[in-house]
Amino acid sequence: MAAIELDGVTKRFGGVTALQSVDLTVEEGAIFGFLGPNGAGKSTCINILLDFVRPTDGTARVLGYDAYEGSTEIRERTGVLPEGYDVYDRLTGYQHLEFAIESKGADDDPDELLDRVGLSPEEGERKAGGYSKGMAQRLVLAMALVGEPDLLLLDEPTSGLDPNGARMLRDIVREESERGATVFFSSHILGQVEAVCDSVGILNEGELIAKDSVEGLRAAATGDTKLVVTVGGDDAAVETAQAAVADLDSVVDTATEDDRLTVDCDNGAKMTVLNAIEDAGITVEDFEAQEASLEELFASYTDAEPAEAVQ
Amino acid sequence: MSTEDNPFDGVAGSLNAADARLVETFGWYTVAKKEFRDAVRSMGLWLLTVVFISIFIVPVALALYFDFNVVTRGGQSLGMQLLISQFYLNIVTVMVPIIAIFVGYASISKERESGSLKLLLSLPNSRKDVIVGKVLGRCAVVCVPLVIALGLGALFFAASSVALKPALYAQFGLFTIAFTAVFVAIAVSISGAFSSSITSAIASFAAYIYFTFAWNWVANDGIGALLSQLGIEGSLRWHIILGTKLLNPNQAYKTLTNAMLANGESGALSARFGMFSQGGLLSPGLPAESLNTICGSVLGGSPAQQETAFGSARVVCNTGSGLPVYFSDPAVFVYMLLWIGVAAAISYYTFNLADL
Repeated sequence: MAAIELDGVTKRFGGVTALQSVDLTVEEGAIFGFLGPNGAGKSTCINILLDFVRPTDGTARVLGYDAYEGSTEIRERTGVLPEGYDVYDRLTGYQHLEFAIESKGADDDPDELLDRVGLSPEEGERKAGGYSKGMAQRLVLAMALVGEPDLLLLDEPTSGLDPNGARMLRDIVREESERGATVFFSSHILGQVEAVCDSVGILNEGELIAKDSVEGLRAAATGDTKLVVTVGGDDAAVETAQAAVADLDSVVDTATEDDRLTVDCDNGAKMTVLNAIEDAGITVEDFEAQEASLEELFASYTDAEPAEAVQ
Repeated sequence: MSTEDNPFDGVAGSLNAADARLVETFGWYTVAKKEFRDAVRSMGLWLLTVVFISIFIVPVALALYFDFNVVTRGGQSLGMQLLISQFYLNIVTVMVPIIAIFVGYASISKERESGSLKLLLSLPNSRKDVIVGKVLGRCAVVCVPLVIALGLGALFFAASSVALKPALYAQFGLFTIAFTAVFVAIAVSISGAFSSSITSAIASFAAYIYFTFAWNWVANDGIGALLSQLGIEGSLRWHIILGTKLLNPNQAYKTLTNAMLANGESGALSARFGMFSQGGLLSPGLPAESLNTICGSVLGGSPAQQETAFGSARVVCNTGSGLPVYFSDPAVFVYMLLWIGVAAAISYYTFNLADL
């Protein structure tokens, strides 16, 4: 049985089409990345899964239940980190967790949950109205973990989290996946999805333009990482550096400008490139990686072949 | 927060057991509990307590100050009855619905605007649980300051020269709590039916105006004219008009309290009869023929003519064959409480259709 099944789901708000006949299947146990720019319709899609909004056309099934008729059953077995939520200002972190535990009829230990998301018991005693965005995000993630859900729906889960928080989130996603949960992870940041997911769907302007494995995604994104390296020394040094990397397999293109060398390379090839420059005796003073933009990624999918054929 | 059971503390233990049972049995209970915990910590609630206390203390405090207890009949002090009928009834029916609207109008729409509703509905709470839990939770929240204010009022009565009649006062308190709960339920329900707090506030205010000022007029003149058009006269006409009047929680509360104050078998009869214009210095009132019909065939009383001090005749309604059950006090009390269910049902219907 598939964890999530969307069949021809269309959603129009007034005259605006938010989703256009989306077909999507997420297998049980998958860590599915749902990638798309802000406003692409990701949240609308998740809202349909949770019966917050109802599709104009098409059907949505979650964990074998119809999203509308079986909504309560679905939410009993699903942990949700919604987008655009607000916590209850006057309730403490513990009270939030207690509410989630009671609603789900679970018997989790609130202290353990707080610990998993990196909140201290003292922070749990505080009213959530005084929480920072990141703390609130951790609290709601803890609420999502209540009752060992079969499905985790995480809508832009890294927003508001610092790098440590993002790492904590990745660890939790992997732990939950190992436990057997399906994870549905939406993001507008390619790197976030790439780091943790095993398959991805790409949504743009309400249409699912591709569904792919994460390896396929990497391949599609290849050559689109720009590495700008500032080298110590004169123009000759820059040229030496250019010569050192130009023939590497993972490098697509190189260019120079003043004391900077721009390298188009594979996503995972950053260190190879930097090492090659150092090996040639040139000092790397600074470097900056410009990851592939989603727009470029979309172009590589849409120009190549129709979405259905990629799978 | 984990509540630790103290084995020696039987009361806390059984409370926890009852709490666990409620959580298990009713989907709305968790929502209502959260609602209560949240709202009970708000500053607004303390403000509310102050307002309620002033509503219930000021009249009796003035009575205490001016040593007011002039009215006696048959050696019995009627001071409390007089205060309730002359002051409390009017203050409560005008002020309490406003307070209730203030408490309830944003209860759901604000959560919708801020996004905390997403948290509520991400958990396995159905939309029905949300409406029912919100309505009951908010009602409970308002009852806290109301009970405090009523209790303080009783203390003032006891201290003043106005005799406190505990049974009477308790009954008045019960009616007042029910009346308040009805308006809170209406306001919360309206909040669930609208997506923004502004529209919810406007709709709640319109409902307030309608219940407080327009309903009775519509029942008397609007429905009256319609029935005349349809040729419905006599007993049926007055049955319909009285029924319409009693469906207004405002009128129901007033007539219940008046029946209680008039006391005895005939209390309910005279209170219902008093809902129709008897005429006064400024208005002629209903024709004697209509009043006779109302008293006799609608209320099961026995009409009689009585000379007034000014020499004109007026109709009085004495005990007769007995008030029909559907116009009796318990029935009126039920009609009033039905509003909680009706409002919640309509709210659920619209809330259930909406995209959040």
